[in-house]
Amino acid sequence: MNGIETRRRSTKAILLVLLAVILVLYGFPFAYLLLTSFKPPSEAIAVPPSVVPDVWTLENYTAALSKEGVVPALVNSVMTAVLSTLISLVLAVPAAYAVTRYRTPSGRVFVLAALVTRMVPTIAVGAPLVETMRALGINDTSFALAIAHTTISLPLSIWLMASFFEAVPDEIEEAAKMDGASRIGALWRVVLPVVSGGLAVTAIFTFLASWNEFLFALLLTSVRAQTTPIVIANFQTQFGLDWGAMTALAAVYSIPVILLTLTLQRHIVAGLTLGAVKG
Amino acid sequence: MRVTDRRFALLLMAPAALFLAAFVLWPLVRFVSNAFYDISPIAGGPRTPVGLQNFIDAFASASFQGASARTVVYTVVVVVLEFALGLAVALIFAALGRRSTVFRTIFMYPLMIAPVVAGLLWRFLLIDNFGIVNELLVRAGVLQSADQVGWLSDPAIALFAVALPDVWLTTSFITLVLFAGLQTIPGEILEAARIDGARFPTMLFRVILPLLRPVMAVALIVRGIDAARAFDIILIQTNGGPQESTTTLSLLIYRTMTRYGDIGLASAMGTIYLIGMLLVASVAVAAIWRPGEAR
Repeated sequence: MNGIETRRRSTKAILLVLLAVILVLYGFPFAYLLLTSFKPPSEAIAVPPSVVPDVWTLENYTAALSKEGVVPALVNSVMTAVLSTLISLVLAVPAAYAVTRYRTPSGRVFVLAALVTRMVPTIAVGAPLVETMRALGINDTSFALAIAHTTISLPLSIWLMASFFEAVPDEIEEAAKMDGASRIGALWRVVLPVVSGGLAVTAIFTFLASWNEFLFALLLTSVRAQTTPIVIANFQTQFGLDWGAMTALAAVYSIPVILLTLTLQRHIVAGLTLGAVKG
Repeated sequence: MRVTDRRFALLLMAPAALFLAAFVLWPLVRFVSNAFYDISPIAGGPRTPVGLQNFIDAFASASFQGASARTVVYTVVVVVLEFALGLAVALIFAALGRRSTVFRTIFMYPLMIAPVVAGLLWRFLLIDNFGIVNELLVRAGVLQSADQVGWLSDPAIALFAVALPDVWLTTSFITLVLFAGLQTIPGEILEAARIDGARFPTMLFRVILPLLRPVMAVALIVRGIDAARAFDIILIQTNGGPQESTTTLSLLIYRTMTRYGDIGLASAMGTIYLIGMLLVASVAVAAIWRPGEAR
């Protein structure tokens, strides 16, 4: 119950209808993508187009997955996103903890960094990063791409984790230290379990940021480490305009993360709102 | 004890700080410094210092001016549409109370979709001949024939059409942030306004929106910044065409760097863009966020 909730039943009914209309419009694009992915390739580009397939088939899925480079790209996407999540958490957790627990003035630098890195055009960091990765000898590897993706998510992760640490009462730690735990021990065994929900949220965000990222992947990979967004984008040139297979691959790529995040919905709202408001 | 605590804190922050210094700050410094050189696109080629020449060239170039204007138009269109729609939906959710839970879940789904996928999907929806949008408009009697509106091929409207997937993709973000903000408004304040006989529009503009100000600031600033640097979602739909009509700054910088190989000029453009963003964002933060006001 909140202050804005209406009490009149008629108003509620009108709003429900209005909402249903908006949701149908909002849901249509992806629903149409799914429906198209089950059409035969020729029907996918038929004039005039149909909404519901005349013939249902998995042809587009087999075609998409058997195309050269598609399965390796899916594997690369998972690898890169997992690596980036790990790097991001390992770096963000201690930093965020220090910012909230010890309130050092230097901690503000991270908040500033979070804002500024968001303003920097990706190309401005991406182009020099290519040279850095080449110099390090890790160009065109999932590891290099994971590092690049971490530059996007690390400031946000620190910001998010800090807001979760903020909610942990100091007493919990003090008690642990009384019992003889070291500072690291208190963080690792006492504080981290308390913020495990926050860890999950941060992990999902880092994962998603990497999973969906395009420009770094375009700049930093060529063959071996190419991720799926690049392959999806290449569908239009490399294989002609194979819309049917494109919709199938797009569905394969999107549905797992949609399902994952919808099931964890409640935990994620805090992350989606960037901790701006405690939802 | 104090000193060791401080050292301990610095030790905990050091890895993240070093990482950001090495992989964000250092590349950025290199990028900005490149703006003062004429750089051969061949690896290991000569670098000639040229002072401010790249900046002069950037400001003088018609494509840079055009792209800057288009970036502003694109950002304003995206943010205004998203904000209007996002606020409306957030208010409906709030008015429905607990009954909105399922709808809120459904409404969130585009946030998980990759911008590349969203761009391609909308291109597919908006294609002149076999796009479903024009087909449905014809069936509804709005259009006479499916090729009457070339959403992405008519330079006059392409910039607005490429903005649609961005609106579709991220309106949910605004809704979520505003909805969460609406939850924090104390019921008594609204009740008091209601007892005073305030009608809904008065309540919205006099009570609700002023209370939402800090939350609105976060939503608008974050989305404004993101829309201004939109890249893949536009690239995939039109590649900047037709006739440059959808070439925003991020596309122009990318093209100047990769296709024309003019790293110096691209860096100058990027530097101007970055300074512009910092200025606009600082003004926005000062004007609507007003940090220091009670949150």
